[in-house]
Amino acid sequence: MPPPTLVTTGHFILRPMANPPLKAGDYTLTGAVDVNKADDTPVGAVQAQATHLRISSPRFQLPPEQLLSCFPPANSEGAYENRLPQIVLKRRTLPWEREPAPGATTTPWLALVVIAEGEAALSGDTPVAGCVTPGVVLTGPSDVATGNYLSVTRTVIDKVFPKKEELALLCHVREVDVNDTELANGDDDGFLATVIANRLPQFDRTNNKPVRYMACLINVEGQLEELAKPPPPVVGFHALAEVFDYRAMAVPSGDPDRLVMGTVASAKPVVAVRSRAAPGGSVAAARIDKVAAAAPAPSSSKHSSGAASQWQTTTQRIEQVALTASENEAGRLVRDVMLEGYRGNLEHLITLERTYRFPVLQHWSFTVSGSGGFESLMRGLDVGLLGTAPEVHPPPPGAPPKPAEPRPAPEFTETGHVGLPHLTRRGDRVRAWYRGPLGSFPTTRDAPDVQGRLPLAHVSDQLRRSVPDGREDLSLAAAFEIGRLLALSQPSVVRALLAWRAEQFGASRAAQILGLLKDAPKIGALLKNAKNGLAELLSRHLVLSAAEKPGKVLAPTRPVVDPGRELPYAKEGGLDKLISEGFGFSAAQVGKLRQGIGTVAALQRTEVPVVSTAQDGPVLRGAEADRLRAGLDAAVDRLTANSIGQQVPGGGLTHGLSDLTHVTVGLGGPRGRRRNASTERAPDALDDLLARASARKGRMPESK
Amino acid sequence: MKTFSSTHAMEAAVAAIKEVQPGRQDDDPSFGPRVVPGELRGWLARLRLLQGVPFSYLVPDAELLPRESIRFFYLDRAWTDALVQGALSVGTVNSSDRAELAALYARVRDEVDEEERRVRLPGGEKVQQGAAGAVSGFVLRSRAVSGWPGLHVRAYDRELGGPDAAQIPESDPRRMKLLRMERLAPAVMLVLFDGVPAVVHIEEPRQGIQFGVRLKPMSTGTGTDPNNLQALTKPRNALTGEDVNTNDNDMVAVPCRPGTPGVLDIAKLNEALRVRADTHMGAAVDSAEFALQMLRFPYRQVFGDPSVNASPPMVDVFRPTISLKVLKQSFLQS
Repeated sequence: MPPPTLVTTGHFILRPMANPPLKAGDYTLTGAVDVNKADDTPVGAVQAQATHLRISSPRFQLPPEQLLSCFPPANSEGAYENRLPQIVLKRRTLPWEREPAPGATTTPWLALVVIAEGEAALSGDTPVAGCVTPGVVLTGPSDVATGNYLSVTRTVIDKVFPKKEELALLCHVREVDVNDTELANGDDDGFLATVIANRLPQFDRTNNKPVRYMACLINVEGQLEELAKPPPPVVGFHALAEVFDYRAMAVPSGDPDRLVMGTVASAKPVVAVRSRAAPGGSVAAARIDKVAAAAPAPSSSKHSSGAASQWQTTTQRIEQVALTASENEAGRLVRDVMLEGYRGNLEHLITLERTYRFPVLQHWSFTVSGSGGFESLMRGLDVGLLGTAPEVHPPPPGAPPKPAEPRPAPEFTETGHVGLPHLTRRGDRVRAWYRGPLGSFPTTRDAPDVQGRLPLAHVSDQLRRSVPDGREDLSLAAAFEIGRLLALSQPSVVRALLAWRAEQFGASRAAQILGLLKDAPKIGALLKNAKNGLAELLSRHLVLSAAEKPGKVLAPTRPVVDPGRELPYAKEGGLDKLISEGFGFSAAQVGKLRQGIGTVAALQRTEVPVVSTAQDGPVLRGAEADRLRAGLDAAVDRLTANSIGQQVPGGGLTHGLSDLTHVTVGLGGPRGRRRNASTERAPDALDDLLARASARKGRMPESK
Repeated sequence: MKTFSSTHAMEAAVAAIKEVQPGRQDDDPSFGPRVVPGELRGWLARLRLLQGVPFSYLVPDAELLPRESIRFFYLDRAWTDALVQGALSVGTVNSSDRAELAALYARVRDEVDEEERRVRLPGGEKVQQGAAGAVSGFVLRSRAVSGWPGLHVRAYDRELGGPDAAQIPESDPRRMKLLRMERLAPAVMLVLFDGVPAVVHIEEPRQGIQFGVRLKPMSTGTGTDPNNLQALTKPRNALTGEDVNTNDNDMVAVPCRPGTPGVLDIAKLNEALRVRADTHMGAAVDSAEFALQMLRFPYRQVFGDPSVNASPPMVDVFRPTISLKVLKQSFLQS
């Protein structure tokens, strides 16, 4: 190892290990003192003193403050297929704080495994004693009462998990400069422990489907010997090679084809037979493979499409939960949704081979949604200046013609303006030009004039520009308006603006007045007579001079009371005239009657002329009249239909909301009569109408 | 009794007004006394950098920013000035307010220009001072933004020679300061530069250094299945940390576990790297040496690299649907 050097910004030092001198656990510190004489002859020993010491370390759960970062980011989507997932821990000794097996002091006890959907099941909260494979006992104190575990078959361990000797290679310590924000990323001491996974998450190129993965930081304590014992390696791999999918065994018999063909029966014994003894992992794997080949399990392509459709909902659901859940519950709920695709009781499904449990300290899921990675994304970017229309690719020869675009072709001018629909204040729908702050060429700013002043708009309309083609250019007016609204949306800004205006502009006004006073010659003489200071002098003079010529200083005086408006009907006989004109009888007759019995009685006794028709029946006859009547009936039926069922004893109507709308719309049109919903009243003409309509409605079927 | 002279009155009046004066000028710790109060200056400068402005005001048509695209632009100072004028108009009530504001506006604009550079100050960097110039930037809409949070963007006024790993502080005169860099949406990033850069670098985030391999399609002889992949890695000299050579074909094939997609045989890979003499790895390879071999340096995309294309034809980078000629004609017709 090179001699320790100082790390500088932008550099880092990799170290293989940070092994703590004491592993986690309970220790007894014994102190013994032997007392000797001066000539070294022993006198005796002081009684030994034992002190108990516990070195604690996470075991089933990673404390949140120990996690610095993980890659790929949790719940992210991206092209990660040529990168190994990793987790960075703040405490450099963490991966070596426990012994995965007695005596294995240099082997890390943590491993990062990456599993695809269906390869293993992640439990919910379980008491820690149940978080390890039955039979394995982890002695010593536990950090938490409940934890999660990954339940996994021998096949998956052999295919996916790292080998025992690989663990040490997958953990290292990185030393960075604490002040290097890019590398240290908020660490306190500049030493970080990194655990790398051994699996490249793959993208489904054949079906172009994203694949979801879960990365789990597992504890291999006590189970070091159970780790992968794979066959010899080969060069290359197939990105869609099927590892294992327990969900295939849990397929409910909902597929009618399978039921009819009876293939369910062949699959069932696999699930039903509970043969615990399956020691040879590879043998069991082979048997499972055979069963999978015999039973028409869903093909891998079908699988991935299922996973993809689920992914679409899962990622969104995780985000949804993260945004909506209450603060206390968010962590638990997000993890719960993340388990989608990893849920299920694996141990009940898999009976032909042994299943194992590994405590999971931390887990997160991510989705591989493309191939190539960052480099290919950046190389594939469409580069241009803002204002560039997307490239139109000519359709290949023989392709069906493209359907017409639902919107008109975009108008992007060379000046950077965009044609947008504009609803004017008068309601006209026109098109206007708009250019945002992001232009395709440099622009100039207003330059100050000779006095050093700049033009300043006070309302947005001052910035509207009309263009020779008859449209308006609203770019700057829109900018002004959104600036105004943004300022108004923040009370603190409004307050600051008003305070600035009140305090500082006020002060500058005072300073100006002071400048004027200095030059006024009269002031000096006046001040000689002042006894109580300038303020009193000024105020007294102001009041006195104002009192001398109030009309000039303040305003002309206003009469105390305005003459009232003349009431035309207050004159003698005016009211009679109004009423008689309204009802069409003679005013003179009322005037005469009133002499004796008073106005009210006179009005009551006066006959109101009523026009009478010669016949009882309708004025109109014939087909035309029938048509009108039918129309009226239909309208009445329609308008009253809903009111009918709501009549209450006593003749009143319950005027609920629906009732009110009907009445309003039906009777008055836009100026509908609105009725007081609560007043009880006697049946009136409308009620009669309603009653008739309801009777007719009852007869309707016969009449048709 | 003391006679009250005009001098006394003046002194009293001046003293009274002087009491108001501290509020008249905002004493800024780095700029000195300023007219606009500090909080307001900061807010106006952030507004000037388009903070809070709805996205549809920036990119008025979705077709201006298609998926997987980067669009460069010049910031229209007239537009952002109008934005500030709109914000200032909030406090004006009567015409005397407006007259006073109009008299002061030139100073307000200068002070906000100055403040603009202080909005985004990375730790340990000094505020740049000087007249406000042109501002440019880009909008990037890509999965690279959503998948790689914390991209590094650097802009320079000339192509830099020297090693790629050279650290150039933000205060370096060759480097253009970033006025703003923000993700507006999960996959949309807005960056503003203080000036018009010649070269722009976008780099993969360095936080959490990454480990990985290079994937290559593998022909199996039976056909071309894009899912048949081979993993390769370029060996590095463990003593220097540099690649052993520059030959792209001299790669070490990464052994994989049979029947499993993407699972690498770390132990065997380590062995394959160790037997190469030029890696200078010790007999007992430790995890640090192994990590060095697997380290992937962040990818850096360079825009405006003169070695690639001196100046692309304008038609490649700017394709409006209505040319200036057509626009002029429509103006003349109406």
